[in-house]
Amino acid sequence: MTTLTYTSLEDITKIHQRARDAFLSGKTKSIAFRKEQISQVGYLLKDNEQRIKDALKLDLGRHEIETEFFDFAAVYIGVRTAYDNVESWAKLQRAEFNLNFFAMSPKLKAEPKGVALLVSPFNVPVYLTLSPLVSAIAGGNAVVIKPSEQTPAYSALLAELVPQYLDNDLYHVVNGGPQEMTKVLELRWDHIFYVGNGRVGRIIAEAAAKHLTPLTLELGGKNPVVLDPKCDLQLAARRILWGRFSNTGQICLCPEYVLVPRDFQDTLVEAMKEVYHSFYPEGPEKSDSLSRIVSQAHAARVKRLIDETKGTIVLGGQADVESRFVAPTIVRDVKGDDPLMQDEIFGPVLAIVPVDSIDEAIAFINARDTPLAVYVFSQDKAFKNKVFENTRSGAAVANETVITAGIPGLPMGGVGGSGYGYYGGKHAFDEFTHLRVSIDNPGWVDKVAFGFRYPPYKPTKLIAMLSPSLPPRVGKTPNAATKRWAFWLAVVLVGAASALLTVPGSGLLSSRSKL
Amino acid sequence: MTTLKYTSIEDIPKIHETARKAFESGRTQSIAFRKEQIAQVGWLIKDNEDRLREALHADLGRHPQETDLLDFGSALGEVRMAYDNVEKWVKPQKIDFSLNWFPMGPKYVPEPKGVVLIIAPFNLPMFLLLGPLVSAIAAGDAAVLKPSEQTPATSQLMAELVPKYLDPELYHVVNGGVPETTKLLELQWDHILYTGNGRVGRIIAQAAAKYLTPITLELGGKNPVVVDPKVDVTMTAKRLLWGRFSNAGQICLAPEYVLVPRDFQDTLVEALKEAYHSFYPEGPEKSDSIARIVNEAHTSRIKRLVDETKGKIILGGQADVSKRYIAPTVVRDVPLDDSLMSEEIFGPVLPLVPVKDVDEAISVIKAREYPLAVYVFSPDKKFQDKVFKNTKSGAAVANETVISAGVPGLPVGGVGPSGYGYYSGKHCFEQFTHYRVSLDNPGWVDKVAFGFRYPPYKPDYKKYLKAINASLPPRPGKAAAKSLAKRWGFWILFALVGASSVLLTKSGRLPQLKARK
Repeated sequence: MTTLTYTSLEDITKIHQRARDAFLSGKTKSIAFRKEQISQVGYLLKDNEQRIKDALKLDLGRHEIETEFFDFAAVYIGVRTAYDNVESWAKLQRAEFNLNFFAMSPKLKAEPKGVALLVSPFNVPVYLTLSPLVSAIAGGNAVVIKPSEQTPAYSALLAELVPQYLDNDLYHVVNGGPQEMTKVLELRWDHIFYVGNGRVGRIIAEAAAKHLTPLTLELGGKNPVVLDPKCDLQLAARRILWGRFSNTGQICLCPEYVLVPRDFQDTLVEAMKEVYHSFYPEGPEKSDSLSRIVSQAHAARVKRLIDETKGTIVLGGQADVESRFVAPTIVRDVKGDDPLMQDEIFGPVLAIVPVDSIDEAIAFINARDTPLAVYVFSQDKAFKNKVFENTRSGAAVANETVITAGIPGLPMGGVGGSGYGYYGGKHAFDEFTHLRVSIDNPGWVDKVAFGFRYPPYKPTKLIAMLSPSLPPRVGKTPNAATKRWAFWLAVVLVGAASALLTVPGSGLLSSRSKL
Repeated sequence: MTTLKYTSIEDIPKIHETARKAFESGRTQSIAFRKEQIAQVGWLIKDNEDRLREALHADLGRHPQETDLLDFGSALGEVRMAYDNVEKWVKPQKIDFSLNWFPMGPKYVPEPKGVVLIIAPFNLPMFLLLGPLVSAIAAGDAAVLKPSEQTPATSQLMAELVPKYLDPELYHVVNGGVPETTKLLELQWDHILYTGNGRVGRIIAQAAAKYLTPITLELGGKNPVVVDPKVDVTMTAKRLLWGRFSNAGQICLAPEYVLVPRDFQDTLVEALKEAYHSFYPEGPEKSDSIARIVNEAHTSRIKRLVDETKGKIILGGQADVSKRYIAPTVVRDVPLDDSLMSEEIFGPVLPLVPVKDVDEAISVIKAREYPLAVYVFSPDKKFQDKVFKNTKSGAAVANETVISAGVPGLPVGGVGPSGYGYYSGKHCFEQFTHYRVSLDNPGWVDKVAFGFRYPPYKPDYKKYLKAINASLPPRPGKAAAKSLAKRWGFWILFALVGASSVLLTKSGRLPQLKARK
């Protein structure tokens, strides 16, 4: 296993200062410079794909297809999107035309917040470091990245590559554990972007509060699946197991449990068994298509949850803490108070929770912390809407799992216990920028309109004239009827007038029509 | 003085629960309902203009014209904007077309966050309470309003009027002081919008951290003004004094100090004197156009700042703490370490700080915390740009003060210690909204594109991933070479086409075409 060199505590303060000085130098104001750096993030990845895949093989025992699909593809899309759009994102925008204020030429512009801190988790370490990095660079910020100490090979590689590819004064990697992290959080940042769990999320939010630092928190949550018996069952089973077992279930958007009508559970379990055997024809131990848990501690935690469950294990259940292996596992007849239903499992264990009705499923979801995603498998629009309209979540996804995070242009983010703020493209760019407004008010405006404001105050009608009209009072909609009458009256008048005009010999129109 | 009835501590969790239940009833999902409630906020003001003006006069000694302009005008602006645009704001947003993803119909839907808490300050108690309320209603949230206990008459009236005009289960007013606010902060909210100062801002942020509650903080800051000697000094003086003395200087966007070239200070002072006398022809004591300080504590704080200044008081300087009166005051030759420069004055006192030139002005601003606004008075675009580009602030305003907060479509928001998040219009609507991502992926997509993802993993996944992957932009430094190569490629192609067409016309194949004619 690679040993990760931790950044010394004294260096952390220096790095912070260096990033601040570099930001203040104004170098990031140039959009051409930002584009160059964005593009370099892409090449950092492109040129070192194999080394990164090897590192993640070491850290997570991951097959390269998962690395390419979850980690690389979304970064390439992010690089391309930011590179192609940063001019328009950072452009000076005019406020909508308004008669009272247009003379002041009101405008707004996205300006960098300053020095941003990115704290990333171990599970999708390339995407969750480089994608926000690209957005922060596009926003014109200096950035310090704190990758996870739980993926030592990758984090060491990142510390090596970032200075090779990116501006050495503006962009930095700090490596370390809780001690280094504590030091990092003592410093004042202009924005903190944290992806991880709620416990650390709270610590970060409290540290940020001291400095009034704005935050983006991307936390997890226990994402439910609601299954309609009328769904395409094969498809549902495949996509649920894929989502649950990819990266051994260590994805914050993973489905964590399935709410299924009690009398449909057997059918679902049969379908899942079939898919399971198609995924791991020789059994999961021999499969190269299954990652390992990030650490022995987490492997032991997931194992304990399996050992303690009161549900029935129908597939998998084996675990070997030492090799960080947990077999893809499906447990049926799980109840709300089961160990599997407490914290986020964050491992390859899918709990099936039988319920009596869709209403019970909805109540079950609403009784828990707001998840990052609610999944529904159904062909029935009414069924899907019922679940989505009566629950809250970061994402509302039908007939699919996990995949939303990779789609360019979607603001991915939680709500309630699953965090706040967004990542992905323009939305993450907005997190790292501040909209600075501007006006320039010529002197003559006081003469025609705003001169009344100066003391000594005298009665004036100008305020009333500048004030917008009120919308109709509740219950007084007849107003609209009056308007309609006025409209018809106008039509009649215009009609009459034109009729008069067109009467032969009476006017211009008739003589013209002869031409 | 009106006594403000504080909400009982036991009632606060009940109010919170009522609001949550009402939110969960789902009635705010109806856009028609939201519009009705937004309109009602407008009528709440309209029907009670006189009572509100009187209350604000009792609380802040404020002339009704300031109330009309600063409080009513901007709150009604929010009402109109939200009413007219809420349908547009709540529409599901589609993403740019992408071949790989369009079958899944990806979109994002603005959904309410839930039950929000809005804590307003004393200085613009209508705009800063009802403005965000309108945005929260538009977003579909339930809201609990905590007006300031320092404006007892207005806050009492709010507690009376809000339940009369608005849905009494969804929208509430809680009145009180520190214990009541502490109780409020113990509860879990889905968003907190706080307007006030950095000290309380930190307390709110700490309380919010426990529940992972997102917050909007609108704090103050010491807003600098940079004056260019080439400016119309009469206009400058009027707008400076108006911004500084309106509401007796108790506006978070008010100019707090003026950085003026040393040799231009006399000229500016003369113009300020002239404007001052036109504002208060019989002296400020007799004027009805100057508001009072919100309480005696703040009055004596400001008095102390004036008493301790090492600058030279050229206008005003009088104070009467028991009447909460501070005369509009202008102080010249104020050094940077002066009492008046030590904190936000938040009163009608304008220090003039002489500097050598614009560069020194910029370095003074940069050495301090980011303010809510940087003001420049100059006819010269270059001068303006120089100051704006080298400083950071919530707003960058030329030749005007304060007014940017009332311009529809411009968000109001700070940066750094002046806070974060935005007020006003769509931007404030977004504070109270969560964008929920949604898609629906048909089964056939796996057959044509995404089937490769399932185990057991096979090497042919690469060709599918290739289709999803975006191409990289040119490698920096290689761009010039590449586009040059492209241009060459174009000319080569052009030459080839030219040559071949020449060949074709010579080889006699053309007659076929001619024959057709």
